[in-house]
Amino acid sequence: MESKLLEIFNVVLRNRGRSEVSQLTENTHLRSDLGLDSLDLAELTVRIESEYGIDIFEEGIVNTVGEIVNKLNALK
Amino acid sequence: MENEGKTVLITGVSKGLGIELCTKFLDNNWKVFGISRTKTEEIIRLQKSYEDRFSWKSYDLADTDNLKQFFNELIDKEALNAYVNNAAVAYDDIITNVQLDPLIHMYKVNVFSPIMLTKFVLRNMLLHNVMGSIVHLSSISVHTGYKGLAMYASTKGALEAFSKNTAREWGERKIRSNCLVAGFMETEMSSSLTPDQKNRIYQRTSLKIPTEKSSVASMVYFLCTQEASSITGQNIFVDSGTI
Repeated sequence: MESKLLEIFNVVLRNRGRSEVSQLTENTHLRSDLGLDSLDLAELTVRIESEYGIDIFEEGIVNTVGEIVNKLNALK
Repeated sequence: MENEGKTVLITGVSKGLGIELCTKFLDNNWKVFGISRTKTEEIIRLQKSYEDRFSWKSYDLADTDNLKQFFNELIDKEALNAYVNNAAVAYDDIITNVQLDPLIHMYKVNVFSPIMLTKFVLRNMLLHNVMGSIVHLSSISVHTGYKGLAMYASTKGALEAFSKNTAREWGERKIRSNCLVAGFMETEMSSSLTPDQKNRIYQRTSLKIPTEKSSVASMVYFLCTQEASSITGQNIFVDSGTI
């Protein structure tokens, strides 16, 4: 897991007054494990787009950290 | 300096109310990103007077396909504090004559592009943690029927519904959305009306006169400031008291 991506997750969590996470796994679920709601996911999306230039939700719903990583890896 | 660094995106800035809006924000030290199809004398004048704070680009909002790229080029990662959706076209006719192509064109300019721009503006505000304000220019024709304006009024009614729901959806992030319901103004948009038609419209107002552009611009400006921080999801009427 890239530290840049972890930091983006922590910015979103901080903005919502939640505790930060020290690590994420591919199976970490965005909603049930991290407690992110649709507005949080919107913020996550724009922060990832700003860093990596890709809109992770453009082609439908993303549920886990692993799905995001796959989309970012596909860029390389 | 008060308002230094505050930024607003305004569409339809080439004439009439658009110029009035730009001037209002610029005079109050905001930076203005302006969009219009044509570059008028007034635009050139604003560019000269406010060289460092008025950024203008030409775009036809009927082109819904290239809007994202255009938005990114114009705003270039700056944080937006406000978006004023002022651009609109009016397709006037009685309903039995309505044609689909001009109707679609009007919906692209008045509804589809403003919705897409709201998407980009909200994403910009989220990225920069801005508690921003959105104002859509609506029309009294939504609330008081006028012969020949059914199609036009329907686009503004769509914006009022969109604004109300934007306010509800993004309120918890302290992003506000309101509509300014403007009465008939002496602008190019109402220039096709005959003096007789205009008089009949003005007789249907409490003040019996056209709505002043400066009054509309001042209320739009107020809605974009911190002083309006508790106002969202509203339709604010600035219409000479239409009855």
